[in-house]
Amino acid sequence: MGMDFVTLGGNLLGTIPLGDIVLYLTPFNLFLFAVLLGFTVMIGLSKPETQIEATFHYLNNTEVKVGEKEFKQRRFLSVICGIASAGAMITGDLFNFTLFMALVGILNIGIVSAVKQTSVLNSAFNYGLIAMMCSLPLFGGAAIILASTGTLSLAVLSQMPASPMVVFGAVLMLIGILGESGVAPFFASKAEMFRTAGSPFIVIIHLSSLFIIVRAVEILLLVLW
Amino acid sequence: MRIGVLWNKLADPKNIPRLFAFSLGIILIIGLIVPMALNPDQLYVRPAPQEQIDEGLAIAPYDRGGEVLTEPGNINPQYPENAAQLGMITGYMSPISQWVSSISPYFGTSIYSSPGGLIDEILYYTRGFDTILESSILMMAFIIASWLSINYTMDRKNDENEIRKDVKKAITDSTKVANEVKANDAKARSKQLRRDN
Repeated sequence: MGMDFVTLGGNLLGTIPLGDIVLYLTPFNLFLFAVLLGFTVMIGLSKPETQIEATFHYLNNTEVKVGEKEFKQRRFLSVICGIASAGAMITGDLFNFTLFMALVGILNIGIVSAVKQTSVLNSAFNYGLIAMMCSLPLFGGAAIILASTGTLSLAVLSQMPASPMVVFGAVLMLIGILGESGVAPFFASKAEMFRTAGSPFIVIIHLSSLFIIVRAVEILLLVLW
Repeated sequence: MRIGVLWNKLADPKNIPRLFAFSLGIILIIGLIVPMALNPDQLYVRPAPQEQIDEGLAIAPYDRGGEVLTEPGNINPQYPENAAQLGMITGYMSPISQWVSSISPYFGTSIYSSPGGLIDEILYYTRGFDTILESSILMMAFIIASWLSINYTMDRKNDENEIRKDVKKAITDSTKVANEVKANDAKARSKQLRRDN
């Protein structure tokens, strides 16, 4: 009950009110937001790496290049993914956060699906299955917390005691976040997606998951404590 | 089972959706024993079931009062200060709906006959940002799907590199088979020779 924005993120610097969805700015959230936006700008400006693979039986190498069309598609999706993850850092609404999470999930699949390597596409497909399943615990968890407390605002939720129903909703949300961001023990399908060329775009998949996990921990502490 | 074997199984992307579905199933089953009750103190309040039907209201159970542009309806937002005009179009109904509700007591029994203003107010006013995000998710899904349907990345039939690789593999394989046949031939011949002598 005592866990507050101020304890977790430092002084409240201000809010961005959008009707019932109020984004809030603390030094902690602003820092995450700024780092992600900075990285997104770098992705928008950078060129993809090329991989060199050794060829078996012969004395030559194979270049795995990113074609121009593929490059454009992946850069576009990566930039949107960066913006979506940045938005998830400052949102002050539980349902809004799950929507950002779902957006990041589908963009992760999109960034990888432009690749022309069968093994990578296979793991992207398996990750897609998980991302699809995740919509149940993500939105279901938020709905259960809403049904139990009557609110979705994190500022109000942080002042409320956690009932068993809220704890269950939080656990549901947690498994949704774990699956969507590919944390152990669900890492394999996501880790295999990285085995391809086009480094900065692949890295945003990783970075968005990491940041969203950090933010999810903060949100769960606000809801539960 | 040794933990190493378990980790190796977890490293196969194919097993992960199954594992995830299994753990989700376990948590949902645990959910059956968690005490659950609806908190009546909700955002965007609605009357208790049957209450308006017993009162005999024409658009029960969707009557939230209010008069369009003059008197706000009964909605309870999280931050009323951010939505000062809220409730002004809650009671809006099209002329046809008004006419139907005037002649029938059952108008409110289907969801599409609920006063249209309320849904608009929530979707585009108090929770407008969510609506933007939802449609962005859909838009991204369409972008990805259309890009895939045009560029069909899974197609391996006409990929030059793939064909070259397959030909190389076929050559190595056939050479290997030919060598094996030759070796077996020689072996059989020497056996026969031994038997003859």
